[in-house]
Amino acid sequence: MYTFSKAIRTVLGCALLAAVPAMAQNTIKIGMITDKVGPAKAYAEPVSAGVTFAVKELNAKGGLLGRQIELLVEDDQGRPDISATAARKLVDAGAVFILSNSLTPATQQVQTVTVETKTPQLAPSNSGDTLTTQISNPNFWQTGPLGSTQIATLLSYAANKKYRKVAVVSDNTELSQLTTKAFKAGLEKAGIQVVSEEVISRGATTAEPQMQKVRAANPEAIFLTGFLTPENALILRAYRQLGIKSALLGNFNFSTPQTTVVAKGLLDGLVFVDAFDPSKPEVKRFVESFKKETGNEPYNLNGYGYDGMMLVAGAIQRAGSTDKEKVRAAMQATKGQVGVMGAPGAGYGFAEGKRTGFDPNGMVVRVYEGDKQGQVVHTGTK
Amino acid sequence: MNDLLELLVSATASGCVYGLVALGYLLITRPTGIVNFAVGEWAMLAAFGAYVALSRMEMPYPVGMALVLVLMLAIGWLTERLTVRPLVEKGAPPLAPVLSLLGMLVVFRESVSIGFGADPQPVPPALGFGRFEFGPLAGAYQSFFIIAITGLVFTGVWYFFERTLTGKSFEAVAIDRRAAALMGVRLGRVTAASFAVGAAVAGLAGMLVSPNVSAHYMMGMPLAVQGFTALVIGGVGRVEGALLGGLVLALVEQFTVRYAPIPAGLAMGVPLVLLIVFLLVRPTGLLKAREARA
Repeated sequence: MYTFSKAIRTVLGCALLAAVPAMAQNTIKIGMITDKVGPAKAYAEPVSAGVTFAVKELNAKGGLLGRQIELLVEDDQGRPDISATAARKLVDAGAVFILSNSLTPATQQVQTVTVETKTPQLAPSNSGDTLTTQISNPNFWQTGPLGSTQIATLLSYAANKKYRKVAVVSDNTELSQLTTKAFKAGLEKAGIQVVSEEVISRGATTAEPQMQKVRAANPEAIFLTGFLTPENALILRAYRQLGIKSALLGNFNFSTPQTTVVAKGLLDGLVFVDAFDPSKPEVKRFVESFKKETGNEPYNLNGYGYDGMMLVAGAIQRAGSTDKEKVRAAMQATKGQVGVMGAPGAGYGFAEGKRTGFDPNGMVVRVYEGDKQGQVVHTGTK
Repeated sequence: MNDLLELLVSATASGCVYGLVALGYLLITRPTGIVNFAVGEWAMLAAFGAYVALSRMEMPYPVGMALVLVLMLAIGWLTERLTVRPLVEKGAPPLAPVLSLLGMLVVFRESVSIGFGADPQPVPPALGFGRFEFGPLAGAYQSFFIIAITGLVFTGVWYFFERTLTGKSFEAVAIDRRAAALMGVRLGRVTAASFAVGAAVAGLAGMLVSPNVSAHYMMGMPLAVQGFTALVIGGVGRVEGALLGGLVLALVEQFTVRYAPIPAGLAMGVPLVLLIVFLLVRPTGLLKAREARA
């Protein structure tokens, strides 16, 4: 009896072992590089949660090309050296596409692998203007709202104010410096003079010296290009403490809900760009289903991840295959794909020779009413 | 002139925070010779303790603050018992505890990152976010609160070392560990107490600064660097040196940003350049340690 049951178990075990690789071969593998412990964690994790939710939703509807999607996740700690190694590991594991949800330098480093291995790669939330221009990599796309789009949208909103003298306040992260560069270029193009440019370093205990300088320069408006939420709260606190009256206009980081938590009482009147319009039908549907699945209220960073995965799924579907070259061509051919992010009527797409896919007219402007993010007051750059 | 006096208040408050972190280092370094870079993470742990006690549980400020300080005393004591003492007892080289404490730095940071997530969390200030004006001197309530509490702490610690017998036993260990042991001072107790009080002082710095910078898992390392810089400027041998070093660092930092005619990005490097020059001129720091009398 013992021998018989042992034999059955052995046969079943062998069958299972044989079935596991067969099942793994049947899935479509999508790699995701995220930052679970480093400085980008606060942003990377919600974007990754959006990707994970999209994969669940797609699998529930039957997956892609009749196969289930398998998400392979790697943590790069926000470090470029680890990011490149993680990318190579994902390529070796058979990833058809890689999603990069990490710091700009780390995402840039992954490109050295994807350009060599011809693996399609998408950064769904990065907004640095130079990600697609520094390396000639036809396998890389970016769908976060560019810094140049953000400033163009803010200036379009503020066109009637006719600003002549403004200040720009940033932090010392790579992304903030890239955004500052884009904002300054936009301001210069509009003939607006930057009379004060200040930087708050990560870990600062006050922003008063910088904001005193801003106050002394007496600008009509202050453009905020920082991405570190605690340092942004320091800026707002110093602004209120020093009694500065210049208008405040912030980048899309001021749309994250945590800003309202740590800068409570400091936000009233702050104008900010966003790509999330709560009145859009796609957003309403996303909010409802995400909440049902995870129990958490989603926000814009979840939406970037969700849209990124849907863009990848769309490309694989249109390619009709997991052949990397076919998927690359299908991704580049994306036109007008409507997602959660972006103003009503906006869609993702890649113009000829371009690999930035966020609609230049897809951003919206909102204004804080007390500590609450107000309704959309302006759309696009026209 | 108003700008200058306003900035003086802000820089003094920042300098007090740096000084407290420097004191956290000094209390451990003096009797043991161990440099504990995890002091910044202790400040971070206390900031999260303040977030739980004051924001989530809405305890009265003095009660919440006292509870967090007791917790920090326990964390400091446990850190010494679990990660330092076993190494010392096994005759590990002097750098081994430093490395072990660096490991604890990662453990503290990641525990908080997993437990509380990556988002910054709010901590209420002791007296609200208002602005206090006293003649030409003006600043946030919290700035004046930081200055007052730091003054009290440094006075208390100075009194302990200079005027009490127990304090003198600590100083004796700092001057000559072996001789102090021969005179009956219990080295294990002094070491454990120095870690416990060091954690409480660093934790106090974290609690005081967290209403401004919020509690977040990455806040420890910058504080550890600023505190260490303050310690080197002030000199590792004297309690008052830690405060002096903190004040000098903060004043140079903030006055450079405000008044030096250089681009904003470069201004942040000036204090570190100054530190190098300072060390070349005065390698022992501003205040020299007491030495054994002949």
